[in-house]
Amino acid sequence: MATQLNLSDSDSSDLSDQSVFTRRSNRSLRIAEQERRKKEEEDPFVLALKYFSEVEAGTPATGNDELENNLVRVEKVAFSRGLSPEAISVMLDFAMSLRMGSSPCARVLKCLLPASVVPQEAVVRAIVWLTVRKLPISTQVLFMKWVLTVFDMIDAKDKLRAIYGFIFSFVTDENLCPFICHLLYLLTRKENVRVFRVRKLLEQQSKLGRQPYLLYLLSLYKVFCPELVTLSIPSRMKSGFKNHISPWKSALIAVQKRNDMQVASSISLAFAVRDKTASRKRKHAHLDLPSLNPVTIKEPQAAQSSSRKLVPMQQIQSFAQLLQNMHRIELPAQMGSLLGSSLALQYLDCVQDESALLRLNFWLGYTLHEEFLFCSDGGANKNPEEALQFLNRLLSVQHFLQEGFNSSDAFMYKFLNVWDGSLLRPQILGLLSNIPVIPSSQIKTLLFDPLMQLFFTSSLFFKCGLIECLNHMLLKWLTWHSAYALEDDLDISLNSHTSINITLSGFKDSVMELVHFVGRLASVGLQLEDCHSLLLSFILDFYETVCDTFLKFGLPLVVMPPPGVFYPAFFAADPVSVDRLAFIMHRYKVNLTSAKRQEKVTEQGFHISRQTFREFNRYQVFLVNCLWNSNMCYPEADVRLSDELLAKSGVPQFSTRFDLIHHPAFVSYALDFHHKCWPGRKDTDLNSIKQSKPWNWYLEYLFTQGFDGLKDFVQNSINQRVMMAGDGCDNVTQSQKLGSAPHIKQPLLS
Amino acid sequence: PHSGVVKRRSKSQSYRRSIRTCFGVASGLGLTPALTARRMNTSRKAPRSQNITEKVKPEHLELLVKTEWQLSYVTPLYQFRHTQLKSYSRQLSAFIAAEKQEGLAVEVGGLQNTFKVSFSVLQGLAETSDDPETVLIQVQSKPMFARQEDPPKTVWCGWLSCINGNPEYLQSLPKDFTCLPLFCSKGAEDLSSLVKSWLQRTFDCCFGPLDINQTTLQWLAALWTNCHMETNIQNLKMIWTLPVLPPLQVTYTVDSDDVLDLWRSTRESSAEKSREAEDEVCIDFSEVTRFMQGLMSHFYRHFRVDLSAGELNQVSSALGSAKVNGKIKISSSRYLISIFSLLTECALLKMPI
Repeated sequence: MATQLNLSDSDSSDLSDQSVFTRRSNRSLRIAEQERRKKEEEDPFVLALKYFSEVEAGTPATGNDELENNLVRVEKVAFSRGLSPEAISVMLDFAMSLRMGSSPCARVLKCLLPASVVPQEAVVRAIVWLTVRKLPISTQVLFMKWVLTVFDMIDAKDKLRAIYGFIFSFVTDENLCPFICHLLYLLTRKENVRVFRVRKLLEQQSKLGRQPYLLYLLSLYKVFCPELVTLSIPSRMKSGFKNHISPWKSALIAVQKRNDMQVASSISLAFAVRDKTASRKRKHAHLDLPSLNPVTIKEPQAAQSSSRKLVPMQQIQSFAQLLQNMHRIELPAQMGSLLGSSLALQYLDCVQDESALLRLNFWLGYTLHEEFLFCSDGGANKNPEEALQFLNRLLSVQHFLQEGFNSSDAFMYKFLNVWDGSLLRPQILGLLSNIPVIPSSQIKTLLFDPLMQLFFTSSLFFKCGLIECLNHMLLKWLTWHSAYALEDDLDISLNSHTSINITLSGFKDSVMELVHFVGRLASVGLQLEDCHSLLLSFILDFYETVCDTFLKFGLPLVVMPPPGVFYPAFFAADPVSVDRLAFIMHRYKVNLTSAKRQEKVTEQGFHISRQTFREFNRYQVFLVNCLWNSNMCYPEADVRLSDELLAKSGVPQFSTRFDLIHHPAFVSYALDFHHKCWPGRKDTDLNSIKQSKPWNWYLEYLFTQGFDGLKDFVQNSINQRVMMAGDGCDNVTQSQKLGSAPHIKQPLLS
Repeated sequence: PHSGVVKRRSKSQSYRRSIRTCFGVASGLGLTPALTARRMNTSRKAPRSQNITEKVKPEHLELLVKTEWQLSYVTPLYQFRHTQLKSYSRQLSAFIAAEKQEGLAVEVGGLQNTFKVSFSVLQGLAETSDDPETVLIQVQSKPMFARQEDPPKTVWCGWLSCINGNPEYLQSLPKDFTCLPLFCSKGAEDLSSLVKSWLQRTFDCCFGPLDINQTTLQWLAALWTNCHMETNIQNLKMIWTLPVLPPLQVTYTVDSDDVLDLWRSTRESSAEKSREAEDEVCIDFSEVTRFMQGLMSHFYRHFRVDLSAGELNQVSSALGSAKVNGKIKISSSRYLISIFSLLTECALLKMPI
């Protein structure tokens, strides 16, 4: 009691000293330094440490006030700031050497809270003391618990690993065994796993029974040397080593928080035998990914030379490790397991091993076939949740690798024939869009026939989904082409037997087949679904890809949309569709002109058929005549009705009904514009917009409404002269006159 | 810039390449010809009585015949070596021991007193040079209260084989792979699944159930009938189930001489063809279909039950029996090879790529 009071007294004087000291230190740094040294020498904590390092062996501990005082000082520092590495070293040495007997030992151990790191030499020395001196069992255990607690804070582990065999010898100690096993688990490297150690552990197992700690250590041995030991961990034992860090945990966290240090991750995390997801009981668990296990049986010759250096994939825990060991990673026994780990996927991306990929494909193909085609245990219909997860994982893997697996492609070709179009639709469509280029000779049987059937018998949403999927597929094909075609320009001297030969014309044929196929689907689909604007939107998405094949992807191919797509898009009642159609036509024009230019420059180039130009011109003339010239009924038009029939309909000025003012998609804009332009007017006369000034204002107004496609189209495809000609002209009549000869910016592509 | 052949490289090739080497260069894109190319043979040689005893050891033959085998298909084994069977025996023994006593580690190669596994080559079953030799796996165990001198009993037996496997497929696999697509097993279910899971983990292969489908059963019926020319098959028994309520099961047994008459008559039309090549008697699937139709229409005339509406579940004769759920029993070793060639073909059809 008295000593404690004394201590607090001295402490307060300490504080006042310090404040005086700080004031003084401002004056002279040199003096301050001297003072500091002097102070350190006088620091009771330093003195206490000095006492513990110098105290003579055999000094009695009981009734020793000096010991008590010093110990209290150390404890005080330890619990507030933690002990410095030197202090840890001194105190640990004091305790383990039993210089003052075993009684202060436990107390010292309990206050060994490191402020930063623990020097490994201290730990090694302490372990050596463990054999030399006769510590009470409880203290031995306490020491081991302490080592495990601060394991992550030990500054280096090489020397500890060097005495692996020495530490291992404690395994036979029944009391220490659980903690030794844990420590060994943290230290074990491949070279430590030896037959005699395995035998020793198994001997312990037969002596002590099934102990989790022995099993966990052996399971790690199995990871390194599966040819030596085998075991299966029962599910109830999967929790890992018991948490041994109780006496220090809270104090340590408090110290670390005070020191603003990152709280060291609890060591119990270092152990993970298997992931926690309890595998549901299924008769055939196809959908379970195999776990990452190392190869059991090694090639005899390889075992001697190279396998020592190989690192099992299972041991790779971080990306940094992966990078370090990239050249010597041992593939797991079951390639399917790579899909389960994101790190392994990074590695899979670089795996060039043909057999490894074939193994993966066998497993994946098997799984997909069993689950969705053979359905030996009810298949996906019975386990929709698992099937969903599996396919989602597969999709994310394919997304990561940016390509599909050929086993899943092969599966898709079969599955499309039996698919009902609704089972796991998003996933199946996702897989479908990853299918690589199919030669045009086979594309019909493999893809088009089953898809056609599905398309025409399914709901609107399926139709939209399928068009979207085919758009993705086309995009991937085109991207693939542009990536590899460009690469080839840089490096032509490729090893011929590793390259895949698909001729450019073969590739073009396939793309053309696909585009024509979607054109057919779209035409009929729009009819079936009454030109539903949602479907139309997906179709226009597709043509936004198609119209840019030349400029965006460098593929010398231009395919125009069929009339069944073009006209419904033009006559659509929503302005968005018309705007997008205008944009698509604009892009077609840009692509065609640039293709033509290239043809002229390079002489050879490529040939775009006249038919394509003709189609383009027809659409272009139609668009300009309808929207601009208010003349829908010009002689060469595709859509033609007899004048009598049109007259019968009673629609006045039928020919102007689809110009920018009267088109159902824009009429509301025209009305709005009219109101803004002539706020006072009572009777609305939309035709008055056609006068040149309001007409230009109206165009401006439309462009500010976000119709960028229309803007591009008008600015690039309609001759300025038309606008000029429109100047001062008297609206409708004049336009109609002009309409007979459509004014399109020259040259009309041909 | 875009002219001639577009060459492509980098990783995408290796993905595609893997399959390309697997199937030759049928298409440069590595497209699986599985869809178009791999179909059941529509024509096969008539089984000929073989004196297999010259090729296969009698104790092995004894093992193969007269037991009912459960069939599975297996994807090609990776890094399987016929020379390492001893090591496999040790591994599998330890694996079974460890799995049987969960939570107890087992030294590989240590003395197992409960289960002893032996891998061995069952020589003589391979027909062509592409067929890998059949591998026999036996698990022996001593009963709990057996006397010391009692010999261990075989509690589980299985074999992996490939008999007359499609040479194109076999040759297309890289060297690291051994294709033994047919797996027959007999014994406790838990041991079967342990052995399978060990093989799966060790050779990165997959096991799936191999049922004997309608077509295969019809083939078997025809093939066995054809055998009656040389060996007495006593009678041909077929079991059908008909989808009525309550389910109707029809056991249809035909005397062997009658059924051979029917078979001969269905073959007569194509007899000329086969006479041209006397030694290679081939049976076409159209003949099998006609034969089955003959059997069914005969049944219909008598019982007014149309069997074609139902399912053939089982075919048996004195030579063996086969069930739709993948169980087969061969009673005579004389036609063993042709039956297992047929089953190998079925197993190969199940290969995912």
